[in-house]
Amino acid sequence: MKRRSALQGLIAYAAILAAGALPYGISALLAPRHAAAKRNYLRPPGALKDDTAFITACIGCGLCGEVCPPRCILFHSRDGGAKVNTPYIDPEQKGCILCNKCMEACPTEALTIVPRNEIDMGIAEIDQTACFPWVDRGICGACVSVCPLGDKAIGFKMWNQYRPIIKRGCVGCGLCVEVCPHPSLPIWVVERPQQFTDNAKGRA
Amino acid sequence: MKPFFLWRHLNKLRWVSLSVVFAMLVLLPYIHVYQTYVAAHAYDLLAPSEQRVFDVMETLTQPFTNDPAEDLDAIKGNTWSGTFWGLKLSDPLAALGQMAAGLTLYWPFLLTALIPIGLSVVFGRFFCGWICPATFIYELNSNLASWLRWAGLKVGNRRLDKRIKYGVLAIGIVLSAATGSVLVAAIYPPAIIGRELYYMIGIGGFGAGAMFFLGTLLFDLLVARRGFCRYLCPGGALYSLLGRYRLFRIRRIVETCNDCAKCNAVCEFDLDPLRDGFGQECNNCTACIAVCPTDALTFAVRITDYPAQGPGHLGRRYRGEHEDVAGHEEAA
Repeated sequence: MKRRSALQGLIAYAAILAAGALPYGISALLAPRHAAAKRNYLRPPGALKDDTAFITACIGCGLCGEVCPPRCILFHSRDGGAKVNTPYIDPEQKGCILCNKCMEACPTEALTIVPRNEIDMGIAEIDQTACFPWVDRGICGACVSVCPLGDKAIGFKMWNQYRPIIKRGCVGCGLCVEVCPHPSLPIWVVERPQQFTDNAKGRA
Repeated sequence: MKPFFLWRHLNKLRWVSLSVVFAMLVLLPYIHVYQTYVAAHAYDLLAPSEQRVFDVMETLTQPFTNDPAEDLDAIKGNTWSGTFWGLKLSDPLAALGQMAAGLTLYWPFLLTALIPIGLSVVFGRFFCGWICPATFIYELNSNLASWLRWAGLKVGNRRLDKRIKYGVLAIGIVLSAATGSVLVAAIYPPAIIGRELYYMIGIGGFGAGAMFFLGTLLFDLLVARRGFCRYLCPGGALYSLLGRYRLFRIRRIVETCNDCAKCNAVCEFDLDPLRDGFGQECNNCTACIAVCPTDALTFAVRITDYPAQGPGHLGRRYRGEHEDVAGHEEAA
């Protein structure tokens, strides 16, 4: 008899635990999944490099977005999955101005304060088969003139004053992407190649 | 013994507090939008509607700030995690969920939850009644339900098992640890509201949580009164556990109680003040104190509830049992 009531209690607790999973299931079902973005988005500056670690650390409070002066930080909202409510920067809409505010605001280790030229959001890459000066379709230089890090990060090719080249000091803020006038955006921020991260970055 | 006269007005103060928190959550995104306009130095390039936002926010904030782009950073964030003049505060559930998701301790973040935890240990589940922006909407929703009932419509008033919310908390922690993302944030209404208001005003459009929150409103309306807070909220469960041995709790003064049971009817959390049944889930919202016609509820500093004190001395049942004694006294 005693064993039977203990069993009943156990079943009751199991039922309570099972009912506890219901809200999570509903919230997962309610989040519609959008198609993945065609090009990669950036994480805000100072973000943990490993994206799974970033998702783990981020609590989705939105503070980074709320302090961002150019409002460049957006949030994965309805694309569902584990990324939901985590911040990203779409350089096509607005680039990061490297102001430090989001790193200072973040309560968790998701964004940690790093010096300006050691930020690693990626590195810009120029498609030399499309960029206007590279294909001799006139002069531009918008990306070079907007770069907040100056000639450490981007410059002109030595013998042609209008063909931009990326240098290794680039931290991937994406301002160049924002200003690029070319409709297909031949400049984009990509993940930093391994050999760049190995030898001390930022000294260049 | 009369309770301190202010206690019965605390419920109004609580509504002021809830409204202020909610208003701040609406105002802060607008302040942020205004700050970005100021930082961009581009008033002339704004659309007319944006210029209107700029003008209104400028009028509102001008008396308090010299440099909007910097000074207005003083208060940022929401109840899930926020900054107040450099002091960072986070919800204990955020700390717990993040700790579970990463399986690591990150002290700078855990420390931000320390003040809320300390306050919960002293005041119990006060966050739910006094601060939570979802409570603001849920209580309005519960008022709507009583209007609907008055109009003759049927609204849900089912009673479920209150322990389900502890299950929700436990499952949330386990799932967070298993999936490596802070899952409780997706179903915790105050976190959802803080976020969604920012998305709506600051960025435009709703996120994933808005539908879930609407669902909880319908659940409250159609299934159980204040059902999400009572039976499902993981944050409420955590606060209940933290506030189990809270210092400040409401007690019934048995000598002036007349067993009218208005306190039980008004209690949003389905507790039993009439029979001294407050327990760990009482959020000190003081609605029962405000509604008590004989001033028979007051605050006590104790770490456990008063044991059941029996029927109120002004009630019919107690007087029926003690009639001969009372008659004796009158005769003497």
